[in-house]
Amino acid sequence: MWFKKRSLIIYALLVVAIFISMRLTEFDLTKFRDFRNMIDFLSQWFPMDFTRLPGMLEDTLATLAMAFLGSFLGLIIGLPLSFLAARNTAHSKPVFHFFRVALSFVRSVPEIVFGLILLTTLGLGPFPAVLAITFHNIGVMGKLISELIEAADTGPQEAMKAVGAKRWVASLFSILPQIWPNVLSNFFYRFEVAIRTSLILGFIGGGGIGQRLFNDFNTFNYSSVSLDVLIIMVMVILVDSLGSFVRNRVI
Amino acid sequence: MLELKNVSVRYPGMKDNALSDLNLSFEKNEFVCVLGKSGAGKSTFIRCINGLQQPTEGEIHFDGTPMSFQKEELRQIRREMGMVFQHFNLIPRMSVLQNVLTGRFGYRSTFKNLVGWFTSEEIQEAKRIIAEVGLTEMENRRVENLSGGQKQRVGIARALVQHPRILLGDEPVASLDPGTSNRIFSLLQDIHERLGLLTIINVHDIELAKRYATRIIALKDGELIFDGKPEDFTSAEYQETYESEQQNLFFQI
Repeated sequence: MWFKKRSLIIYALLVVAIFISMRLTEFDLTKFRDFRNMIDFLSQWFPMDFTRLPGMLEDTLATLAMAFLGSFLGLIIGLPLSFLAARNTAHSKPVFHFFRVALSFVRSVPEIVFGLILLTTLGLGPFPAVLAITFHNIGVMGKLISELIEAADTGPQEAMKAVGAKRWVASLFSILPQIWPNVLSNFFYRFEVAIRTSLILGFIGGGGIGQRLFNDFNTFNYSSVSLDVLIIMVMVILVDSLGSFVRNRVI
Repeated sequence: MLELKNVSVRYPGMKDNALSDLNLSFEKNEFVCVLGKSGAGKSTFIRCINGLQQPTEGEIHFDGTPMSFQKEELRQIRREMGMVFQHFNLIPRMSVLQNVLTGRFGYRSTFKNLVGWFTSEEIQEAKRIIAEVGLTEMENRRVENLSGGQKQRVGIARALVQHPRILLGDEPVASLDPGTSNRIFSLLQDIHERLGLLTIINVHDIELAKRYATRIIALKDGELIFDGKPEDFTSAEYQETYESEQQNLFFQI
């Protein structure tokens, strides 16, 4: 009743895919016989070392700043572009296609690649990291918002046209209030992702708590590593709850 | 004041015309109701008048000059025509006053519209009109918290703040209950009488049309089948407007 012949084939294919993926990733649970090593390693994390807490907090602030600037600049630049990349608000088909393709191109380059490229001219530090996050977020926000624009109710847009408003003023006023809560929730999600990204960028010299974590790790300073990780967790949770607070206020 | 000359509309990919060869003229002080079944072309007709729909053939003359579909000229014509919609088409998450002020957009510079600089005269005028449509003290309420009838009053206020010379309505009461519909129509009649606006409104409800209109137009399959005084729109005309082709077939058998 529930299983048709064709779906059995699909299940078989899925099993094969899982098997192949396990071979390719050397997935082997028997390797956990060295589990004790991990326990030993983690036990070195405690007790936490609070002596360098002020420096850590400073770096955390830098990470937050990186993530905020990167995602906010991405929003500010991506928002107008998204109107050009939405089928219903673009001036013409070629404009629409150009911006769609441009946004997906920008989006397809991972932040770390942007970061590595920018390092060559800007040197180490948070600035190239901010730019890398910005570029990627322009692509992501542009795409997400242009989809919201295309799904917006056409009624208000028609009313604004009927009033005699200029085309783009009409689009802006009739669409933006509708999609605003969703734009904000996308922004906060991207802000959260940007925090994780800036950690990775810290590993290649982007500064912030990510770089400190990487350095502490490489110098076997595990009692500091544990505090770094704790701070990162608290930061992500705080940003997440700030996001839901703002979303609830707006809706 | 407004004249349609051989106006036809055909939607791309459709075999039949949505409007066929309409010739009509309207004067100031008329309150026109447009009757017809769904799909008879009522909406298309209304939307042609303010250029939301471009006729495939024919011309529309406004004050003796043919309407242009050039961006700027079309904008200038549209701001002289207020329009109310079936689903109100208000801007959500904005207040009554903000929604009404958007009715001034056609007259103001883009920059002023974007930053929201309105003169105190414009704001006073908007508030006066909000009171006039019966929404006193409600100007700061968000529109999504209003009832259907109140929403349509905001829609009417937005149209009036344009200082229009023509008021168009595309099924403005189709999503309202009978009592509210009646009150909205009597508001429209008040406005019509006070300002002498040419008012052209699509309705389903023939009772409303007969009570308020000074002239009735009936469309069927895009063609004009009646144009005259409400008292001349009798049950024979009603039959012709609303009977379906299936019924015809049935009677022929």
